[in-house]
Amino acid sequence: MSSALLSIKGVTKKYGPNTVLNDVSFEIGKNEVVGLLGDNGAGKSTLVKIMSGVVEATAGEFFWDGKKVEGINREKTEELGVETIFQDSALVPQMSITRNIFMGREITNKLGLMKIKEMDAITAEVLDSVVTIEGIKSPKQLVASLSGGQAQAVAIARAVHFKRSLLILDEPTSALAVRATEALLEYLRQLKSEGVSSVLVTHNLHHAYQVCDRHIVMNHGRKILDVRKGDTSVEELTAAVVGGAEGIRKYRESKGQKND
Amino acid sequence: MSNTPNADKGTVLSAPQATEAITQVRRLSDKQPTTLLGRLKENLQFVRGRGSLEISIVMVVLLAGYITASLISPAGFAFLNPNNLSGVISQSIPVLAILGLAAGILMIAGEFDLSLGPAITFNAIVFIKVSEAAGVWVGVLAGILSGVLIALVNGSIVVFTKIPSFIATLGMSFFWAGASIFVNGTSPAILTTSRDATMVFLFAQDFGSFRSQLVWLVIIGVVAWFFLHRHKLGNHMFAVGGNESAAEAISINPKKIKLIAFGIFGGLVGFASILIAVRTSSMQPGGSATQDFTLFAIAAAVVGGTSLNGGRGSVIGIIVGAALIELIRNGLLLGRAPGFYITLFVGVTIVIASIFNKLMEGKAR
Repeated sequence: MSSALLSIKGVTKKYGPNTVLNDVSFEIGKNEVVGLLGDNGAGKSTLVKIMSGVVEATAGEFFWDGKKVEGINREKTEELGVETIFQDSALVPQMSITRNIFMGREITNKLGLMKIKEMDAITAEVLDSVVTIEGIKSPKQLVASLSGGQAQAVAIARAVHFKRSLLILDEPTSALAVRATEALLEYLRQLKSEGVSSVLVTHNLHHAYQVCDRHIVMNHGRKILDVRKGDTSVEELTAAVVGGAEGIRKYRESKGQKND
Repeated sequence: MSNTPNADKGTVLSAPQATEAITQVRRLSDKQPTTLLGRLKENLQFVRGRGSLEISIVMVVLLAGYITASLISPAGFAFLNPNNLSGVISQSIPVLAILGLAAGILMIAGEFDLSLGPAITFNAIVFIKVSEAAGVWVGVLAGILSGVLIALVNGSIVVFTKIPSFIATLGMSFFWAGASIFVNGTSPAILTTSRDATMVFLFAQDFGSFRSQLVWLVIIGVVAWFFLHRHKLGNHMFAVGGNESAAEAISINPKKIKLIAFGIFGGLVGFASILIAVRTSSMQPGGSATQDFTLFAIAAAVVGGTSLNGGRGSVIGIIVGAALIELIRNGLLLGRAPGFYITLFVGVTIVIASIFNKLMEGKAR
């Protein structure tokens, strides 16, 4: 059996007396788009932070390509190729597109001074060839002057350019117009062919259902559903997100399916 | 770092798009300016609205006014008098500009240090005492080190406890003011035998048309420019100050960057403390003599286009901001305005500059 790209086992996170995540395990396969769904407070954001290495789990194991990774932190996930695009804050608005694309990965000489000209040229190349974004005038343009959709596209272009292997998008569509959302979902579909797996965190089931190969539903810190796209429906996902485990049971009963 | 491998395949990820957009592929790469003039023009276009250009225009206008007034009435408005020029350009501006750069770098990284003034007192006393005991070189080292350590103590409190820097450093400003009395007693610390030709040459020499302080400002300004606008660490400071979570998501460690910013802040404040101490030969403990510097340094940064919310600012802007404040102060003195008017006008300048910057922020394209 080929091993999954990322696999987490028994992840628990406690903040003081509050258990935010309770024994969560799942896998993200290679070239797979996974939807991570759930209502507010279900533990999605914490899970994203743990997967991207920003927050440390209280307990649990982390496997990358079948190999166990100890003491997961941001430096390690960066090395593995995990990139997270947090909801409307993936970029620094006061900085130029070039500086955002190369943020933390600047091309420098031996003294650490940046080669701005080279970085600008590559940025222009990336913006031309990786994603189609209309209305960008120059790599030197400030991100503050971009629309929400343009900014998301720049963030995705960055991940593709640096050959990230797992892209986690935290509520990417919440601030987007309809057309920009459509474009974003299209990028996600095509990312697969580039060999990039992605996790789409959202509470918009329709967006997730359109592009995701598999859906994981969280409820009160627990994973309550983990199904392939073919084995579920928007209705069942809605029931799970709104009603939790109880909701799934009621939905299946109403459909005459038996619970397992 | 290779070029993108996708160039020959055309667009890899293509969104549903209007047909006219498809005909414009490679529109950005082909539009990259190649000539020096083209690059200059592009830079100018994207520098607009980031503070330094606008404030420079304001300063040029003010300077033109001063020069005209001084030419018409050399006695009534003695701006061009060599003594006045040397005092302003070579003494007041460099000290405030270096302090402004210190405060500005910290502000770009998203933090403040309101203990700047009392820290100057403390550093200057350390510099004076050590110089008297062990000579100027050790004294300089001790003065700068004192500045760095004070800032790192403040910075650690802010970074590790996550108390807003406004409150943490406000508290620490009283602490360092008291600490200067603790180490020195209440009588002023005075430079005597150690203020020799070497020390004066280094920090307060009059070379006729300029003084040592101005040379230091040029050196520090150039280094600061390369650091902030061209070095990757400077880039990380803009990133952390502009959007901390985005920076963290891309594996920049905000705590580390902020502590480095505090360290640089402290080093620059320590150095400015030395310039102040050598010029006046003494330092009164308790912090009252230097407390104005705190807000004037932040003012210089703000007037120069530095954002109070972090992530925005420039070295040239801050230096021009400091120059503008000192020029206004000088103009009021030459125009024989009563002392209390000076703070009034400086206050108005700061508020107007902030409003101006706020408007410009929206225009930045």
